[in-house]
Amino acid sequence: MRIKILTVDDSKTVRIIVRKAFKAYDCEILEAANGVEGLALAAKTMPDLILLDVTMPVMDGVEMLTKLKSDPQLKGIPVMMLTAEGGRDNVLKIAKIGVRDYIVKPFEEDVLIEKAGRIIELTQLQEAPPKVRSLTDPANILCVDDKPAIIQQIQAGLKHTPWKVVSAANQSEAIDYCSKMTPDVVIVSLSLPEEAAFALYRHIRSHAKMKMVPVFGLVVKTETALQQQAQTAGLLVVTKPIDCVDLEARIVKSLHLDTSARYFGSEDGYFTLKMPENCSPAALAEIATALKPKLTEAVDAGHSRALINLSAMTSLHMGAIKQIVQVMQLCHDTGLNYALIGNLHLQDECKGFEDTRSWQFFQSVEDAKTNFGKTPSLATA
Amino acid sequence: MSAVTPVISEALIRTNIVRSVSDVFKTMLRRSTKLDHVSVAEGDGETPTVVRDGVFAKSSLVVGTVGFLGEINGLIYLYFEDSFAQTCAGQMLGMSEQEMTESGEEVVNDAIGELTNMTVGSFKNSLSDQGFPCKLTIPSILRGSKFSIEPISDAMRFIYTFESEGQRLVADIILKVGD
Repeated sequence: MRIKILTVDDSKTVRIIVRKAFKAYDCEILEAANGVEGLALAAKTMPDLILLDVTMPVMDGVEMLTKLKSDPQLKGIPVMMLTAEGGRDNVLKIAKIGVRDYIVKPFEEDVLIEKAGRIIELTQLQEAPPKVRSLTDPANILCVDDKPAIIQQIQAGLKHTPWKVVSAANQSEAIDYCSKMTPDVVIVSLSLPEEAAFALYRHIRSHAKMKMVPVFGLVVKTETALQQQAQTAGLLVVTKPIDCVDLEARIVKSLHLDTSARYFGSEDGYFTLKMPENCSPAALAEIATALKPKLTEAVDAGHSRALINLSAMTSLHMGAIKQIVQVMQLCHDTGLNYALIGNLHLQDECKGFEDTRSWQFFQSVEDAKTNFGKTPSLATA
Repeated sequence: MSAVTPVISEALIRTNIVRSVSDVFKTMLRRSTKLDHVSVAEGDGETPTVVRDGVFAKSSLVVGTVGFLGEINGLIYLYFEDSFAQTCAGQMLGMSEQEMTESGEEVVNDAIGELTNMTVGSFKNSLSDQGFPCKLTIPSILRGSKFSIEPISDAMRFIYTFESEGQRLVADIILKVGD
């Protein structure tokens, strides 16, 4: 259900700024120019949050708040003051009537969103279907550790990716970075003093913009109690010594990146599938997920020939065979002619399986393109 | 509410107005401000030259005003040249120069009224915390050129001129003294 926010302010400027601030979130902004209008609109629409000014004509914010809180129907609506009326005594007096928060103007839009996000569930608005991010898209990875060697290791391990690894030595540096830019992923050392990693995690989760940012906690493999504590809190655990290949895979998974570019492509009018060196269950699952949409896309684009390239594979196993058989079957069903490409070692291995014994391979992509449709000259029996 | 304004030092007023103008312009407009002239007058003396003579006084002006009432009573006027007022309103609302021109004076008036409200609010909140509790009035706007604002006889007047990235802003503070 869409969140409703009622802004009660005699200044149209403030109402425009409020509207602008919440533009990226799935919420409806209702406007009233004084307390009388505000009460009427609150009763009519039952908003999820009221942003209330104090100094207004007709009925000021204090009177409106008092009336609101004495109305059994309306008293449950959370109110956040947004006013130039500050001063300790004023704030205390108004707070006693019952407000959830108090922002004294001038105000930053980010502060308004942050404080509102603590009272209501703000979700980012997606005007168009979300663009699926792929492996080639840039991402900012905030790495928080007081040990530079760990940060350097992660930077080196992810160097081949389009991701930028930025470092912070402590919690306050990390919070400072997050206030300027929303990271796509946070990796934080659980051994930072005074449980700073957990404080940082709470800080990130309390901000509407960062609620969905994956947070990984770095911990030594043997510290099982700390790992459990982190998992209970909601962090994703990465153990040290860090396996950067595994870390990369987990980041890809946490960001829901489209990995199909690793396997599928097109060149010179051919639809191509390149099986990976290591056909792990994760890789096979990625191929299986993207296979049908990619084949449909290829046929739609006018492709009628496919190259299934197995030359990077170092060994054959039943999982990989099943996947390749499925690819061949789908190519056949969709009317795509295909050719297999493989190395001599793989051709030998194919002789050992009933399902693969009859497979015929070209030696290279060029060979397959030149002789497509013919029987490969160095095919296995 | 006392009708007698306690004696407040010029230094305190200066500190508060410089901080208030700086905070509001930095937060709402991302602009820096720098104090470059101070003028103090007592009673119904002549309007200080900064708002009486020169290019500024002859320009088309937009002046926002907000009062404060309580243990201390007064008014603050913020003077903007018309074009600067339009720039500030555009920055505050995230609107282009063309959009601002098409929107007309009403939008600029409202934005300058709110900027003045925030500045005076910040100023009077500091005074409240320093032992002079008071409340704000609703903002209003004056427009025109070659006009002057004259205080009544029992008033203290403090005029602070600010430079903001090549533009000029004047804060004219009038405090009521005596009964």
